[in-house]
Amino acid sequence: MSNSSETLKTLTVAGLLCIVCSVIVAGIVVTLRPQQAKNAELDMKKNILQSAGLLSDGQDIDEAFKSIHSVVVNIETGEVVNDMNPENYDMVEANANPEMNVEIPSDKDYGGLSTRPKYANVYLEKDESGDTKTVILKLWSKGLWSTMYGFIALDTEATVKGFGYYAHGETPGLGGEVDNPKWKQQWVGKSIYDNTNEVAIKVAKGEAQGEYQVDGLSGATITSNGVTNSMKYWFSDHGYKKLLNRVAEGGL
Amino acid sequence: MSALRSFLDKQGEMFHKGGKLEKLYPLYEALDTFAYTPGIKATGNTHVRDSIDLKRTMISVVFALTPAILFCLYNTGYQANAAMAANGMEAIGWRADIIRMIGLGFDPGNFIHNFVYGALWFFPVFLVTQIAGGTCEVIFSIIRKHEVNEGFLVTGMLYPLTLPPTIPLWQVAVGIIFGVVIGKEIFGGTGKNIFNPALTGRAFLFFAYPAQISGDAVWTAVDGYTGATMLGQAAAGGMDAITYSWNDAFIGLVPGSMGETSTLMCLLGAGFLIMTGIGNWRIMLSMLLGMVGMSFFLNTIGSETNPMFAVTPEWHLVMGSFAFACVFMATDPVSASMTNTGRLVYGALIGVLGVLIRVVNPAYPEGWMLAILFMNSMAPLIDYFVVERNIKRRMARYV
Amino acid sequence: MKIKQLVLDPIVKDNPIALQILGICSALAVTVQLKNVFVMCAAVTLVVAFANMGVSLIRNHVPSSIRIIVQMTIIASLVIVAEQFLKAFVFDQWKTMAVYVGLIITNCIVMGRTEAFGMKNGPIESFFDGIGNGLGYSFILIVVGFFRELFGSGKLFGMTVFELTKDGGWYQANGLMLLPPSAFIIIGVIIWLIRTYDPSQVEESN
Repeated sequence: MSNSSETLKTLTVAGLLCIVCSVIVAGIVVTLRPQQAKNAELDMKKNILQSAGLLSDGQDIDEAFKSIHSVVVNIETGEVVNDMNPENYDMVEANANPEMNVEIPSDKDYGGLSTRPKYANVYLEKDESGDTKTVILKLWSKGLWSTMYGFIALDTEATVKGFGYYAHGETPGLGGEVDNPKWKQQWVGKSIYDNTNEVAIKVAKGEAQGEYQVDGLSGATITSNGVTNSMKYWFSDHGYKKLLNRVAEGGL
Repeated sequence: MSALRSFLDKQGEMFHKGGKLEKLYPLYEALDTFAYTPGIKATGNTHVRDSIDLKRTMISVVFALTPAILFCLYNTGYQANAAMAANGMEAIGWRADIIRMIGLGFDPGNFIHNFVYGALWFFPVFLVTQIAGGTCEVIFSIIRKHEVNEGFLVTGMLYPLTLPPTIPLWQVAVGIIFGVVIGKEIFGGTGKNIFNPALTGRAFLFFAYPAQISGDAVWTAVDGYTGATMLGQAAAGGMDAITYSWNDAFIGLVPGSMGETSTLMCLLGAGFLIMTGIGNWRIMLSMLLGMVGMSFFLNTIGSETNPMFAVTPEWHLVMGSFAFACVFMATDPVSASMTNTGRLVYGALIGVLGVLIRVVNPAYPEGWMLAILFMNSMAPLIDYFVVERNIKRRMARYV
Repeated sequence: MKIKQLVLDPIVKDNPIALQILGICSALAVTVQLKNVFVMCAAVTLVVAFANMGVSLIRNHVPSSIRIIVQMTIIASLVIVAEQFLKAFVFDQWKTMAVYVGLIITNCIVMGRTEAFGMKNGPIESFFDGIGNGLGYSFILIVVGFFRELFGSGKLFGMTVFELTKDGGWYQANGLMLLPPSAFIIIGVIIWLIRTYDPSQVEESN
């Protein structure tokens, strides 16, 4: 008798505990969700504005983001995809999905990425008349230790307005210097393409030479190469080139 | 001489128990025994007689280091002068002012010019090491009330030799303080440390201030000059990219850490250490074999993307700091394995690991420092297995 | 036992990190910035305190055959709750700590206290024992975080203290401090100092 009543007690305690705990956890998760969603959105906006160098100190993020329109673009054609909601699409997530990504031919895969998503999140800054002033693109590539994720802001002529990484795991003091504001500032005003319309922008080995280069990160050859490769790939024919052409024609 | 003896004895009164400067006894003791063999005799039943004590051991190591140090002075100056001559650069800074003041020049073909200019780069680093590290050593011996230990003499010699000439002096000080305190004193002082203090200090600098101790810009003592070491060249373009001849590399006329470039000078030191029985030949030999074996192995595998795979053993021998690490670092008697079989295993694994880090890890062009530190932490375990195996074998024999 | 003793003892005398060597993982992972340290410490302290109290409240009704899983359930629920709060109110810190918040569940200190103290003592004592151990944990993390942020990035709580050379100042950031092993070294030094001050904590060698 005592044995079965003990089993019953064990089950009761276990059951009750589970119910109490799940109610508490579920209640709190549901209550806090809206606040969390707001945070996540704000964080994304901040990343975009900050890496692209469009956020000045103390500026309100929502305010700064007002002039920015977010769209989903088919990288292959450079056209806006209207039936996809940019709010729910994340190109980094999509890249992990075999149906949503495209294999990169190995002769074009400078960044060692192996795949890229079919569609890209693109952020457009428009002026009052509705013309695109700035286009902000996401790009990533392998550094030394990690995949480095960043945003680059370009004007309609494909000149850099701002560039920066928002997530990377490079060595502090060497490759980690991609976060150095002085280094990031060097990108501003550089053109992506040269006269022959080839990707010319790159991180130099040592000091920058010529109008398309920025200084190399000292002691961080592999990280520097990673940055160069991300430019080389993402602005190639297989990357954002079509899209940038359309921007130049005023088609976006 | 007896005048010095009586002077020391007279001063000694102040430092002995009850004297005014009792607390500073370790300082007095260090000076006294530096000049004279201590008069204290061992008492008690067991007593091993040996003609050599710790102080003489350490001085022998310093003696073995002399060729490497002299060559370091010459080569540091030579590399700087050659780079300036080839690129038409002017020497700047206080060192250049001194050279001009004493009427010398910057001719890479002139032995004296190179030697003096190199000395002006090496000695500040050396002095800072001695002052900063020595101060730590003295502070600890005063707190712990024991004599100043001679171990630092060698640490303080090895450490500056492993640094690039352009290293900022404050970093030299921070590094050696870390090496002495965290690498040694925290474990109880000389003889109790698990890690080689000189390498601990260097490793600290390597991770703390990587920009001043890695990359292409730091190895030649010319401001604004960028020149890759052989390892840097090999990592970028394989054997074809190396611009130095094997002979130059063997002699050591290449850029690199100040005292580590010359394989020849390290071999001279090795000869002396093995002859006097102070350096352990088992560690040196097995480390060499480990390195050769591993690089053969990697040569055989080959790699399309990583040109370092193709670097052959004779180049591994002369590039970077292999010889220096093998002769002076791995053989540190305190942090290495203590059993003879253990030493063979320990050395061989350092050889294998060092090549592996050099070749496969893209972040660290050189591997010996990390390989030795890692194996330092494994050395007691190796010894444990060796001893256990011995016990088992003996038991089996008598059962 | 007096409450004051329960709260103060674990800070130096019976510190969960320095003496019992528990909870090291998170001490390595979250101590790059003091802000994160404080968020983490608050989360851990509250989780230990409430888990300890919760376990203590039902200790007389828990059959010993399922006591570990009961403790785990309570701890896990509290950790999820804590994580949800962090995500809602200190998103930036939550993001940089990410997985380590969830890993409080596996922090040995929490489980250790509920099993060693909560199962045997009343809820009030248990609560304060939790607070005390949380503070002991916090004490070490704050010291580690202080040195890592100050020497690693020249800042405290994100405010510049030492102007970095890359921003034109005099202080060169110490890269080692930004890497996890530095926390090991600092904890080692703290243990060294604590045991020099109180030699009774030194283990006997055998």
